[in-house]
Amino acid sequence: MISTRCAACKYLRKRCDTDCIFSPYFPSNDPLKFACVHKIFGASNVGKMLKQLPVHHRAEAANSLCFEAQSRIQDPVYGCTGIISLLQQQIYNAQKQLAIARAEIALNAHQAHLQGGSQFQQIEASSSFNNVAAEPLHVDQSFFDPPWLF
Amino acid sequence: MGGSSPCASCKLLRRRCTKDCIFAPYFSSHDPHKFAIVHKVFGASNVSKMLQELPIHQRADAVSSLVYEANARVRDPVYGCVGAISYLQNQVSQLQMQLAVAQAEILCIQMQQEPTLPTDPDDQKSLFLHSNLNNLPQYLNFASSSNVIQDPLKRIISLDMS
Repeated sequence: MISTRCAACKYLRKRCDTDCIFSPYFPSNDPLKFACVHKIFGASNVGKMLKQLPVHHRAEAANSLCFEAQSRIQDPVYGCTGIISLLQQQIYNAQKQLAIARAEIALNAHQAHLQGGSQFQQIEASSSFNNVAAEPLHVDQSFFDPPWLF
Repeated sequence: MGGSSPCASCKLLRRRCTKDCIFAPYFSSHDPHKFAIVHKVFGASNVSKMLQELPIHQRADAVSSLVYEANARVRDPVYGCVGAISYLQNQVSQLQMQLAVAQAEILCIQMQQEPTLPTDPDDQKSLFLHSNLNNLPQYLNFASSSNVIQDPLKRIISLDMS
């Protein structure tokens, strides 16, 4: 008889009931997925977390737990917060570069204006992007604080 | 008589707080909520194992990141930290687009100003448009074999910014 136990019940060596909370999200063909979340969160905690969610949210929750667990295994000190810190740094760098680029555009436009009206008109006509790039992208950094990481 | 009070973890777990308690340096009795939330999400036993596997000088940061992740998971039981990562990646993408547009405009202006120079537009474009922001670490590209990954996880896991 072919075993139809999910990855969780196989790992935990128990019977996989028809109402097993893990089986829809931890199929037997991906044993690593459950092994990761169990290592970091524990099967009991994962089961509790999934049970507290409506059924249509459980798949995403299981996958996000798996992602966090894998991040923590790869980076035992910072886990996902390392990624957040890196992205915050990238946003900071991008904003700086964007400000420099916009300043250069403004300077070029000003210089062209000083050199002659016709040149300035050419730049105005070719630059249909000014309005798109006008507003700086506001990022609410306080939402993502772990200040010690950055 | 005397003796220090148990740390927050030993208070919650109702056990004696020994001198070599692994939690005591990081979970003071003054902040019981900190350990409570980590215990709720990860479990005391798992946290203890994780800390034991780390050198002492890294444990404080590890605890802080665990607390952060636990708080994120309690705030957002479906996505936890992953929701924040997805949001930030969107921000990075938008900024990269804006930067590419601005850099293309600079290139346009420069080509207009010096039309006689024998430039290769493609080379210049690739020079301007290639951003060092594209070098995300490898761990963001690991793939899960699961078939049920959807947004925002699909965006994070399939992100290839080499």
